[in-house]
Amino acid sequence: MSKLKVAFFDFACCEGCQLQIYNLEEEILDLLELVEPVEWREAMSDQSDDYDVAIIEGSITRIEDEKRLKAIRENAKILIALGSCATTGGVNKLKNNFEVQDVKEYVYGKDADMPHLDTYPTKAVNEVVKVNYMVHGCPINIKEFSYIVRCLAIGKEPKIPDYSVCVECKMKENVCRFEYGEICLGPITRAGCDAKCPSSGMWCFGCRGFVDNPNVNAAEDVMAEYGKTLDDLRGKMLLFGSKQEY
Amino acid sequence: MYKCDSKKDIYLPLPATVGKVQPMTKYESFFSCQLDSGEELGHMPGQFVEVSIPGIGEAPISVSSSPTRKGSFEMVIRKVGNVSKALHGLAAGDKLFIRGPFGTSFPVDEAMKGKDIIFVCGGIGIVPVRSAIQYVLDNRDDYGRVIILFGAKTPHDRLFIEELDKWREEKNVTFLETVDHRDENWSGPEGVITTLLPLVKVDKDNTVAVVCGPPIMYKFVIIVLLEAGLREDQIYLSLERNMKCGVGKCGHCQISNIYVCQDGPVFRFSDITDIEEAL
Amino acid sequence: MTVKKLKKAAFDKWVAACIGNQRVFGVQAKEDRFVFAPLANAGDLRLDYDVTILPPKKYFLPPRETLLKFDRKEGFESVFDSQPFVLFGVHPYDMVAISQTDKLFAMDQYDTHYFDRRQKATIVACDVQNASKEVFAGCMGTATVDDGFDILITKIDSEYLVDIRTEKGQALADTIKDAEDADEMSLKLRKLVWADNTKLLQKHKLNVRPDVLPRLLDRSYEHPVWEEKAQRCFSCGSCNLVCPTCYCFDVRDDVEWSLQKGQRYRVWDGCLLSEFAAVAGGHNFRRNRADRYRHRYYRKGKYIPEKIGEVACVGCGRCITACTANIANPVEVYNKLVDEGK
Repeated sequence: MSKLKVAFFDFACCEGCQLQIYNLEEEILDLLELVEPVEWREAMSDQSDDYDVAIIEGSITRIEDEKRLKAIRENAKILIALGSCATTGGVNKLKNNFEVQDVKEYVYGKDADMPHLDTYPTKAVNEVVKVNYMVHGCPINIKEFSYIVRCLAIGKEPKIPDYSVCVECKMKENVCRFEYGEICLGPITRAGCDAKCPSSGMWCFGCRGFVDNPNVNAAEDVMAEYGKTLDDLRGKMLLFGSKQEY
Repeated sequence: MYKCDSKKDIYLPLPATVGKVQPMTKYESFFSCQLDSGEELGHMPGQFVEVSIPGIGEAPISVSSSPTRKGSFEMVIRKVGNVSKALHGLAAGDKLFIRGPFGTSFPVDEAMKGKDIIFVCGGIGIVPVRSAIQYVLDNRDDYGRVIILFGAKTPHDRLFIEELDKWREEKNVTFLETVDHRDENWSGPEGVITTLLPLVKVDKDNTVAVVCGPPIMYKFVIIVLLEAGLREDQIYLSLERNMKCGVGKCGHCQISNIYVCQDGPVFRFSDITDIEEAL
Repeated sequence: MTVKKLKKAAFDKWVAACIGNQRVFGVQAKEDRFVFAPLANAGDLRLDYDVTILPPKKYFLPPRETLLKFDRKEGFESVFDSQPFVLFGVHPYDMVAISQTDKLFAMDQYDTHYFDRRQKATIVACDVQNASKEVFAGCMGTATVDDGFDILITKIDSEYLVDIRTEKGQALADTIKDAEDADEMSLKLRKLVWADNTKLLQKHKLNVRPDVLPRLLDRSYEHPVWEEKAQRCFSCGSCNLVCPTCYCFDVRDDVEWSLQKGQRYRVWDGCLLSEFAAVAGGHNFRRNRADRYRHRYYRKGKYIPEKIGEVACVGCGRCITACTANIANPVEVYNKLVDEGK
């Protein structure tokens, strides 16, 4: 079998999701048996337009990003969005809660209007081009990434959970964060992370985005039950759930 | 606790080999297979098997051939999920893995014997019913009149084209077919399958109806059959659900108190009229 | 067989001896709750627990269990890799649930994977010492249990009655030292504990006999309660996952990096999850939340009773605790059906 030619491209992000791939450690050699990286800025200096799979990390925040992304899409047979910034807009979408001009002035001060610093409200990758596969999470779950790569290599559609983090959290037999009076986004957030945060004693931040059909309307009642308000919930959702499409 | 001498693993698929693969339509391909053990599959018409491709998964597939035709068993696979897509990549000589047969069958040796039979098949619904049609034709003297009605969406969606022609020409078989939407090459009738029913006379007291097709078809066909004077216990149909384990454990195919994989896929209509989620 | 009476010190010594001889899982504290977990020290065993987060089903039907291994060229091979173990501290309602699951996994087609684990278990049940906040086992006839286990422990004041019922139980009890046979008085007191527990384990009161539930549901299919409750349902499946009588599963394949070898495994699934009744090609036979919500009640209260003659809710109350939306209280729902049917 010929190896899949893979190119990594990063946009607005911390590049931490790519870093997760190096965290495969010795398994990275297994990965390289299946794929041939032709462009991977963090790992190698080569560049190439000849690839089957484009892996996009980061969100789209500038007009030139959009052009570059569209060109990549043209070139790629398969396009994978890697990590929250790419799949939902992630933390970068916090910006969308404010006026762009205010954001620019806050960040760049007197240079705010310099043309090379121009920016627009953050978009997830699938708000610009068609995405074939999403590897959710901040950072990604490397086990899920590996599973998706193996699925592609044997020609099968990977099954990405469309159920909530509660499923995996219950399997781990964690004490529910709601029992501690915390608001946890687990019930409306897509599983696939092995409930990493609740298993470490933290509420779910919702980094993997909503399940396909989240019952957001129910949230208000539920918040009231726990003596909280919808604003408390919105506050929790701001970090990853800002202006999230669902 | 429950002791059982059997160490048989109900989840263990057995190897089989593809004898022949033949594309039928854009989405459907025909497979003929043989168990590597050399044994017959041992199914009855209407039953299904769980087909595995290691690494890809397992899917429930109707057996489309009659047990009267020995040596191999046949399936028609529509490309819809991982397993069916992978099956489409197989060629003669390739391996696949089988569990089963599972479920209930059309009552070819019981209720249908000695009766007139009307087969009503919509689209891919012909796949499981073909097994019963072949069985009946191979034991032709055991049954009264045989009527086969077949409806496809378009002429391109017709399955078993050569066999349809054979049935059409068969002396003691009434065969009618229609397409929902015709094209330039189709000179036959156009219209949904229920338009064929008034064209045949059924002896209402002495007929068994076998119905299989997409969920939407059942409601309409059953109304017409009941209007023609058939009783609910003269109608048999095959239901589709997510039959994941095939052995009544995993829960996916449950509708009300029945497991489609065990209590079905073939049901007598009178047995499920009170079951809310069935149709 | 026999009932022994042990003082606390002798009891602890016996537990320690068990731990020394075999794999033992027992109830222990986890933060403010309790769980079944590998038991390393007799002192960690908390038979005074109220309820565990997950029921002991996880030892017979693990959240993820490899059924088969495969080689893509060679085919499949069954995997049976479990070791004998002792389960310490199973409450009566959970014991009833295990016995029900036994019946369902044996029925028609015998599930060798389930029974491979099940037969390797020695179950030490124990009567409830502290009622949990949401328990209603007393209404379901499951506050006490008389069979299914190998040993039953009942604490009477500061002493433990160890009721040995099976050969497996006897084998485990062989290491008991400094015990006497239980006297008449202790056995009478034990009966009082059972009577008390039936009353105490009724934090919610079901206004109908459990055996009437199938008939109650017969006439309640179109009741507005399903829609009303489901409006708040997150479809998170928590009620399924923590339920001792839920056993639905999904089956999946995963290959190793070699792409040649791999495993077929089953994972817990739940009928409340949105894709549970979807077929290949996308059609979902239970797309609405309310349909899924109702299905669970019918399965517990009607469909399974029709199969095994017992209501498949044992009143542990775990679903009530686990449901963040607070819509999973079976007693509330069933009582509503009773009230509005009058």
